Amino acid sequence: MAKASNLTRTDLDSSFESYLSVSSRTSNRSLRVAEKERRKSQTGDPFVLALKYFSEVEAGTPCSGNDVLERNLVLVERVGLSRGLPPEAISVMLDYAMSLRMGGVMCVRVLKFLIPATVVPQEAVVRAVSWLCVGKIAISTQVLFLRWVLTVFDMIDSKDHLRAIYGFIFSFVTEESLSPYICHLLYLLTRRESVRPFRVRKLLDLQTKMGRQPFLLLLLSLYKVFYPELVTLALPSRMRSGFKNHNSTWKVALSAVQKRNNGQVSSDISLTLGLKDKTNSRKRKFHHLELPSLSSSIQSNSSSRSRKVFPLEQLHSFPQLLDNLHCIELPSQMGSLLGSSLALCYLDYVQDDSAFLRLNFWLGHALHEEFLFCSGDGGSGSSSEALHFLNRLLSTQHFLQEGFSSTEGFLYKFLNVWDGSLLRPQILGLLSDIPVVPSSCISQLLFEPLMQLFFTSTLFFKCSVIDCLNSMLLKWLTWHSVYALEDGLDISLNSHTPMNMTLSGFMDSVMELVRFVGRLATVGLQLEGCHSLLLSFILDFYETVCDMFLKYGLPLVVMPPVGVFYPALFATDPVSVDRLGYIMYRYKKNLTSAKCQQQETKQAFHISRQTYQEFNHYLLFMVSCLWNSKMFLPGMAIEVDQELLALSKVPEPWTSFDLIHHPAFLGCALDFHHKCWPERKDIDLNSIKAGKQWDWYPEFLFSQGFQGLQQFVQSSINRRSAAGINGQRGSQPTNR
Amino acid sequence: MEERNSTEKTPCNNALAQRRSKSYRQSMRSCVEATHLAYTSGLLTALRIPRSRKAPKSRDITKQVDPDQVALLVKKEWQLSYVTPFYQFRHTQLKSYSKQLSAFIVSEKQQGLAIEVGQELGFKVNFSVVLGLAETDKDAETVFIQILSKQAFAAKDDAQKVVWSGWLTCVNGDLDYLRSLPLEFVSLPLFCTRGPESLTVLVKSWFEKTFDCCFGPLGINSTNLQWLASLWTGCHPTINIQYLKLVWTLPTLPPMDVTYTVHPQDAWELWDSMRQVDTTEDSISIDEVTGFIKGLQSHFFRHFRIDLSAGSLMQISTALGSSHHSGKIKIASPNYIPTILQLLTECALLKMPI
Repeated sequence: MAKASNLTRTDLDSSFESYLSVSSRTSNRSLRVAEKERRKSQTGDPFVLALKYFSEVEAGTPCSGNDVLERNLVLVERVGLSRGLPPEAISVMLDYAMSLRMGGVMCVRVLKFLIPATVVPQEAVVRAVSWLCVGKIAISTQVLFLRWVLTVFDMIDSKDHLRAIYGFIFSFVTEESLSPYICHLLYLLTRRESVRPFRVRKLLDLQTKMGRQPFLLLLLSLYKVFYPELVTLALPSRMRSGFKNHNSTWKVALSAVQKRNNGQVSSDISLTLGLKDKTNSRKRKFHHLELPSLSSSIQSNSSSRSRKVFPLEQLHSFPQLLDNLHCIELPSQMGSLLGSSLALCYLDYVQDDSAFLRLNFWLGHALHEEFLFCSGDGGSGSSSEALHFLNRLLSTQHFLQEGFSSTEGFLYKFLNVWDGSLLRPQILGLLSDIPVVPSSCISQLLFEPLMQLFFTSTLFFKCSVIDCLNSMLLKWLTWHSVYALEDGLDISLNSHTPMNMTLSGFMDSVMELVRFVGRLATVGLQLEGCHSLLLSFILDFYETVCDMFLKYGLPLVVMPPVGVFYPALFATDPVSVDRLGYIMYRYKKNLTSAKCQQQETKQAFHISRQTYQEFNHYLLFMVSCLWNSKMFLPGMAIEVDQELLALSKVPEPWTSFDLIHHPAFLGCALDFHHKCWPERKDIDLNSIKAGKQWDWYPEFLFSQGFQGLQQFVQSSINRRSAAGINGQRGSQPTNR
Repeated sequence: MEERNSTEKTPCNNALAQRRSKSYRQSMRSCVEATHLAYTSGLLTALRIPRSRKAPKSRDITKQVDPDQVALLVKKEWQLSYVTPFYQFRHTQLKSYSKQLSAFIVSEKQQGLAIEVGQELGFKVNFSVVLGLAETDKDAETVFIQILSKQAFAAKDDAQKVVWSGWLTCVNGDLDYLRSLPLEFVSLPLFCTRGPESLTVLVKSWFEKTFDCCFGPLGINSTNLQWLASLWTGCHPTINIQYLKLVWTLPTLPPMDVTYTVHPQDAWELWDSMRQVDTTEDSISIDEVTGFIKGLQSHFFRHFRIDLSAGSLMQISTALGSSHHSGKIKIASPNYIPTILQLLTECALLKMPI
């Protein structure tokens, strides 16, 4: 205190100057220079002089009729309300006011314009509190002071000294008119170590005296966060919103000053206790879908009282999480983590088995009760809560990039009773998250129920199932590529793979999945008359499959079944044929590089001879059909008796699926024909096959955006420059 | 890459494996067990549904368990729930649980009033252990909870009135399941309650908040009611069951309830005739049970031309106890407590989500 009144003039001067230069840093430099000039020319800044007056004025100086006082006060007031006061000024003025050197009226007046420009020095507040202890100040003024502290609380530069006098502040709690504000202040200052049994008892005594006051309850509820074994209470919902703001006196001036100073510091004190957003939906008899609220657990608290812990309830920002990573305490109910992404970050970081098990128990219970046991209020389908819950679960799993095992177990059961339409996007989304299923039980758990649903549902369901299986495969492959890499770095850590599975086991599962989709696709295409939407989803899947070796490092190549290949090749839309071209191109890349690797390293992973044969077969057929206009010949995949063909009366049937006559490209061919011979009335597509046109025609197709076809043609067909009309089969990987 | 291709890894069963592998291992478990799955709608679970049981043997339970405590359990009707394993539940902490639960009840009853834990309140909660009910060393000991209410103006020496009681138990729980739980978890899957619903809700909510568990209602389905009927009938030679009463509900419009009471001797003879199919004395198979019930049903059909198998069995009772579809059970004789509790523990474990 003495130190404050000893502030010399030079002290004030220099610091204020630095303050000014800070505040005007953004303004025009020449202006600043001019101002400095002006200030130098003056004998002294009146503002600084005024502050000096207040720091030095004797106690008991009369205030009525004191012109000097009035002049200085108005000056400081004007600065305070317009620009805000610098920290030193706050310090001086607060001390002046709280010491009541010129009486209570002055004190109130000063407090009202005490708007900080940047920060409030905590020493000033500590000193002011000590003046409070002297006990001369009128109660209403004390309230005003406390309200001021609460308003500028976030601008106090640091709070450790204030926390050190927690006990002093606490002692004011018995003062009836002060206690709402004191409780609020304590709420802001409370740390785990400040919660003591005697304080709890004191507050409870007050509660019996004053009744259920929200401020007492809010403070006690914070105490409960730190020491649930000391005090317990149920906070009524109307009280969840937290403390009221007491900043009415300063609100306007403060926001004006902050706006002026670019609003770097926000004093908006908004406290919320309940992290949970209460759904306004009807009260349910069973609320297993409701997320429990975050609360600290009694269990670990009592066991680790000495250790510093940080309850998750208190966690509000990512930096906070980083600072307290070593001492964060998991909440009493793990289900509450699902609501907070910060908490999920932490969960992903601690690899705590029992934490995951607790979460899985809760989650599994919720899912089972809602969708399998249906012990809730009747039908579960219509409720938007179920939708909300599953969406939240989905986003959690995507956040963790991992499905919960309880979700997985639930899905295996649910698939058997699912009608295929209830919450379809969510269920399929969850399904695509399941980790690799061992090949021994994949069929029973996954394929059989899915197959039943698939064959009895609409086209759109079929598409979404294929899509779901595609993203499932993608996730499996990604896991494999990530963890296989980790294993390569450190062999001793090989229990770290996501599935704890041998490579061959993993390959078996992938193989099963791919074959299963092959079967689904074959029958699905037949059922839906080769619908191009379904075909498109199926080709999506094979785009993943054809690149398994190169993209994901899995030494496995599986060819599509004939039931997929031929419908795609003979599709009436060019997009499908084009994508098939791309897929064949990627297959070729994968197979050739697999073969190279096999030859180089002599390490035997076997892509079977049969796979190569299948590929060659397809390739041969595709080239001769699209390019060489050869079809239905003996020895080819599709053989048709010549006599039978003749009966169809189609002229030159072997040409009907070459690039010109293929129904998918017929439009392009006509277009090309028209461009080549704009004046010709009679259209003869066969004329494209001759001469330069045959060279130009593929280029024309490629220019239409058929990139897949282009890659296919360039990789698999050696075009002889001009002479050869018929292209030659390109080099193919063979297994000889 | 090349190295990996050649070497086949052995699956790692290391208990200290990382969490990521753990989540997989658990799914493995459900896969392996799924091969025994009975896929019926409604009751689906990864645990095995038993097809045979040991015949009940009369045993004087009071030799192992405090008779006073046994008296608390028998001759009362209990409402059943299942509960997932408790996290960090300790049988040594029961005293502090008593304090916390009583404070919790008061604070919940008086919304918005903070309560000091350990203070004298309008409610008193007693936690106690019922030693001796556990059958294997994996079974956790049974916990009995009583809530007593203090009358505001009662004389000091007035006995406090029991307003609610409940107990958590596990008898002969599935060993594989119990072994798979980490040490921090205690499984007491069967929760029996008696008293006002509002208090049950509060107790459950306290348990959920304190031990991170979840409660759900536990019904007793027809199959299990049939089991109980057979088990109790089989006891007739040792203890007179006096009557066997079965209640069916038939899906007519309006629904028809059929109460079917059988003379104990007749019931036993029918049961005994079924039993002769099996040679081993010790175990009872599900076929014998269904045969017994079919016999009862066909007898009824002969007289009344009503096929009971079209309806569902709702309730059975004998002098040894009674049991209702909605999850109510009453055990009248202490001699067969373990048999009944084992069956109910099974039902509760079948409800576990993992």
